[in-house]
Amino acid sequence: MLASIRLVTEPFEPVYMRRALIAMLLLALLAGVVGVIVQLRRLAFMTDAMTHTVFPGVAIAFFMGRSLFVGALIAAAASAVILTLLARHPRIDEDALVAFVLATFFSVGVIVVSRNRTFTADLNQLLFGRVLTISTRDVVEIAIVSVASLAALFALRKELWLRAFDPVGAAALGYPTVAIDMILNLLIALVVVAAVRAVGTALVVALLTTPAATARLVSSRIATMMVLSCVIGAIGGWLGLVISYDASIHHDVRLAAGATTVVVLTAAFAIVALAYALARRRETRQAVVS
Amino acid sequence: MNHLLDLYDSTIMQRALIEAALVGALCGAVGVHVLLRRLPFFTITVAHATFPGVVLAVILGASVLSGAIVFALLLVIGIWITGVEKRLATSTVIGVALAGSFGIGAMLQSTQNGFTKDLAAILVGQIIAVQRSDLIATGIIGLLVFATMFATHKELVLSAFDPTEAQAQGRSRTVDLLALLIVAAAVVTTVPAVGTILSVALLTIPAMTARLFTRRVETAIVASSAIGALAGVIGLTISAQWRVAAGAAITLTAAGLFLIAFVATTLVRHPVSTEQVVVFTDTRRPPELAH
Repeated sequence: MLASIRLVTEPFEPVYMRRALIAMLLLALLAGVVGVIVQLRRLAFMTDAMTHTVFPGVAIAFFMGRSLFVGALIAAAASAVILTLLARHPRIDEDALVAFVLATFFSVGVIVVSRNRTFTADLNQLLFGRVLTISTRDVVEIAIVSVASLAALFALRKELWLRAFDPVGAAALGYPTVAIDMILNLLIALVVVAAVRAVGTALVVALLTTPAATARLVSSRIATMMVLSCVIGAIGGWLGLVISYDASIHHDVRLAAGATTVVVLTAAFAIVALAYALARRRETRQAVVS
Repeated sequence: MNHLLDLYDSTIMQRALIEAALVGALCGAVGVHVLLRRLPFFTITVAHATFPGVVLAVILGASVLSGAIVFALLLVIGIWITGVEKRLATSTVIGVALAGSFGIGAMLQSTQNGFTKDLAAILVGQIIAVQRSDLIATGIIGLLVFATMFATHKELVLSAFDPTEAQAQGRSRTVDLLALLIVAAAVVTTVPAVGTILSVALLTIPAMTARLFTRRVETAIVASSAIGALAGVIGLTISAQWRVAAGAAITLTAAGLFLIAFVATTLVRHPVSTEQVVVFTDTRRPPELAH
């Protein structure tokens, strides 16, 4: 009993671990809610693309000595605007457009970086994050972004659901569907930027897709899915930190905290998916028998 | 101009040019199926899925290509099996697989010291480091893919355009698997040359460009293949001339060719008129509700 309590408290004795936990829980909450919407609107590819389109913004801001956060935000917002405006262009396939924007933005970033070698360390950080060296200021920024985005989503909830479930009806009722899409895509861009700096591209995609997908297997109600997805993300983030701390302190194996969290979340999805498949199989078999 | 000819003289550059043309032609042709079946997201996910394979191969001292192939196959089979499940959208399953495989790769990589240099090479590609054996591997895989595409062309196209009819004929699941395998083969061949993220560019942009000119699948495959090879050669030349990363130069060349074609075909089809404006506004809104 005591040992299990120690497992919960010991890793979080150092201040940096506590900061990492707070950042992870905030992001899990934010990504849990946004992730359900991303799934509903099938925006997983766009979300993944945004984790890469921030790259030229970060690279250019780095060389100009400006704030990386602002650079990333400008690049992500630019890609969100392009994707929203051209999404319905009759001569361009939507998925292909996402790939096009992703690859061209990323190439610009690569070219900026390839002219200067010192950047590779930061490139790694961008990919895998640095949740353990996160500063109090970063945590405050994430908290502000979380509160603002969640408030905006709450205020727009009616429009978002109508747009998702009945796009034709929404347009017929006079709702500005392009504007709704634009706001949603810009919000996703904001979430991606806030999260990328803390936990890296890999974990951002994981936080925005995997908990929501796991929740979808359990429930079909949006509110339930959102709560579940937040809880799954939070538990995954906490476990990821505990496992990576335990491995490096007690077993002398270095495990990146962000990557460990991704693996925990993916494993949780795999287990739930397997249970779901088995339950379905049983149901159909019983249906056949009766 | 002389300088440019000198550039083409070196063996390293010649090898790189051949590789760029081969990879461009292969990806261009396969790209038409990527667009037909809406597989761009799957394509980038295969590219990411090779990452843990590569890391594991380096740790175990096995060949990098074999590691990439094993993990790409695992992903193809996983996506194919879950494809029948309708509760989760395919894009959701692919997103989970993408993040998961990237996470596994990153976790494995974090246990090792001093890995970052190779990692950067995987991400951005190293076409200049191409060996004779790589060229042969690209050639063989390319030939196999082209032969398969040629032999099963009818089935591939039918099941993309009319899944119900293909299902009625009974072999649609096998054909779906075949399509995923073809795309995965192209990705695994391309990643060492232009990198993980930019391989998706070669597998979509030339096909997007070809589609602007033609609706016929066969014509699109030939055109896209030519555009891909052209983008590879021009991009590599630009990269050698101005010392910028080859993968990025090839991608931006392909993107430039698309933009030129897009503007040209738009001007030819609808000489600038009011029709253009409608495209970007919501046409479904009744006029009386418009502000």
